[in-house]
Amino acid sequence: MLDRLSVLCFAGTYGLALAAELARLVARAPIRWHLTLGLTLLGWLVHSVFLGNLAWREGQLPITSAFHSLLVLAWILVAIDLYLSVSAPKPATVGAFVLPMVLALLGAAVAMPPEARADWTRLGGWETVWGTAHGVLLLLGAVSTCVAFASGLMYLAQANRLKRKRPLRVGIALPSLEQSERWNRAAITLAFPLLTAGLAIGVILNATSRREGAAVLDWWDPKVISAALLWVVFAVLLHVRYRPEWRGKAVMLLTALAFAFLLFTLLGVDLLLPTSHGIARGLEVTP
Amino acid sequence: MKLLALGVDHHSAPQPVREAIAFDGSRRREGLEALKGRFPGVEFAILSTCNRVEVYAAGDPSTIPQVGDLTQFLAEFHGVDLGVFATHLVDYHDEEAIEHLFRVASSIESLVIGEGQIQGQVREAYEAAREAEAVGPILHEVFQQSARVGKRVREATGMDRGRLSIASVAVDVARRVFDRFDDKAVLVIGAGKMAELTLRHLAPLRPGRILVTNRSPERAQEAARAWGGRALPFEELESALVEADVVVSTTASAEPIVSFATYSRVLKARRYRHSLILDIAVPRDFDPRINDLETVTLYSVDDLQAQADANRSERLRAVEAASAIVQEETASCADAIRHRHLAGSILRQLGDYSDAVRSRELDRLFASRPHLSEDDRKAIAQTLHRFQNQLLHHPRSALRSATGAADGHGRSLVDAVRHLFGLGQSEARDDR
Repeated sequence: MLDRLSVLCFAGTYGLALAAELARLVARAPIRWHLTLGLTLLGWLVHSVFLGNLAWREGQLPITSAFHSLLVLAWILVAIDLYLSVSAPKPATVGAFVLPMVLALLGAAVAMPPEARADWTRLGGWETVWGTAHGVLLLLGAVSTCVAFASGLMYLAQANRLKRKRPLRVGIALPSLEQSERWNRAAITLAFPLLTAGLAIGVILNATSRREGAAVLDWWDPKVISAALLWVVFAVLLHVRYRPEWRGKAVMLLTALAFAFLLFTLLGVDLLLPTSHGIARGLEVTP
Repeated sequence: MKLLALGVDHHSAPQPVREAIAFDGSRRREGLEALKGRFPGVEFAILSTCNRVEVYAAGDPSTIPQVGDLTQFLAEFHGVDLGVFATHLVDYHDEEAIEHLFRVASSIESLVIGEGQIQGQVREAYEAAREAEAVGPILHEVFQQSARVGKRVREATGMDRGRLSIASVAVDVARRVFDRFDDKAVLVIGAGKMAELTLRHLAPLRPGRILVTNRSPERAQEAARAWGGRALPFEELESALVEADVVVSTTASAEPIVSFATYSRVLKARRYRHSLILDIAVPRDFDPRINDLETVTLYSVDDLQAQADANRSERLRAVEAASAIVQEETASCADAIRHRHLAGSILRQLGDYSDAVRSRELDRLFASRPHLSEDDRKAIAQTLHRFQNQLLHHPRSALRSATGAADGHGRSLVDAVRHLFGLGQSEARDDR
């Protein structure tokens, strides 16, 4: 409970950073960019200390529960936000797209049921290694998908502004179409192999456990079905991504769909549907 | 303390009048020397640009020239009849003069509101006056502050943001489509002045290749040579469009030269890579429906003009906020100058007052002791002088530091010294 309350500290700082970012819509001040960056960095440092403490306390990577995984996911996204904000060739409002996602992830982390866990370390042996690999790969795949989604939104906003001939200097500063498309392309290209490898390891782990007669996920478990659908959506997205005639808005909309599928698979299934994913592997050895 | 700004600008005088009394190049230095010689003890600075010619004067009310004196000076210095320019002159006094300079430095008074050149021109005017040893504490303060105020206004209002010409807005659009240009090809269709202007604005982006096509091959060759590009026959327009990432079209054709179907084919051949078409021809060279194609951004001359107008409106909207900042800074600057003047005056009066007391007491002493030798008298006078200096050392140091601080502490200190020594009642009131 205390951990969940602590999340409010850095979530609040990210909230302030987002408010500073969006303040551009009503007032212009050169200090705003520095304030946004400073607050984001401050929140990220507190976030880092929190995760570091968590890892030290548990003696392992803090990805054994949905709560922890979402915190790590948000932490990596903020790091990417900071990097892109500083390295973009001209000031672009990356935070306006990434920080809402980060806040939503932190909110979801707090809302996740405590029993949604997959504590592979308790299993021991090779299962711990592969279980951890399964979690890490899916987590990194989720990070890439979030970046692809955010850059897709930036692209759609910029494309809409240019197509409709909206005033270029009003509203938030967006990266060029070329830049956001490049970010989106790189993120999708990275997300697919990560998710594929993560899901494949999950399938292999389940199949092996089934042979050994241990508690396993049913192949018709909502988590398994949604994961399979997620993979199909990403395969289509990657295919479309390399079809020139689908360039632009279509890829970005499909990225949004893939992101929605990912959210559903990672969070929605645990919150809304009866699944024994994580619980099955974690609880069977819980003393 | 008095301040006067007198001159003409693009609001008050046509260009020939401004030119008639302009201080170009070395004339500014000559003007400053002439002003110094004619009005000794007065501070001067001359701001002379294409859109304004202004003389700033500051000093004691008894020595500072009147508007008529300066007008006469301008006529004599430039050898121009008074009737040519006198009715166009505008004068600003004291706080008005400070506010005017701040407005000028913030480019609120510029022909193109928000333009950045004026800041450098104000700085040049100050530097020239400083080199000619024509500025003193008042103009030094006002010009130094004007640079700061100009910067503050720009940062707070964003008045300098947003381009105002069609060609420069085209660059803004290009930078929202593409990130880098060294791997892009720019195709210019037609070779008119507008194409040249747009290319000149695109040049700092360093495009990788420039292609030129025109119905007249000779003109295409000529333009390609001038811009360091490659000329292509007009018959190869479609293949040129396939290669081009940015297209600038300025032909005088009465009908569109590129149809929707043609560009659809071009886009397919380009493998749907992003392209930006700047159709600045009237009537249009490109079918407007091409804008509906994904990955194509088409801007017509009207679209670019609308962007420029929107930027202009935004700058005009910023003027109100900028004026409020200027007013606030004017009050603060005038206050600081008045305070410095008052503190300086109290310092002088303190010296005069203590000298008078010392002389009076020495005279009384020597009158009552006529037998004192010359050496004794000298020793007593020196002792008293040292006593006076030591006694006043701290009040004087404190007053000197107070001249630079127009805050509450500085004011209290000046008031305290004034009351303690019973100084400058009337002068202090005048200065307030």
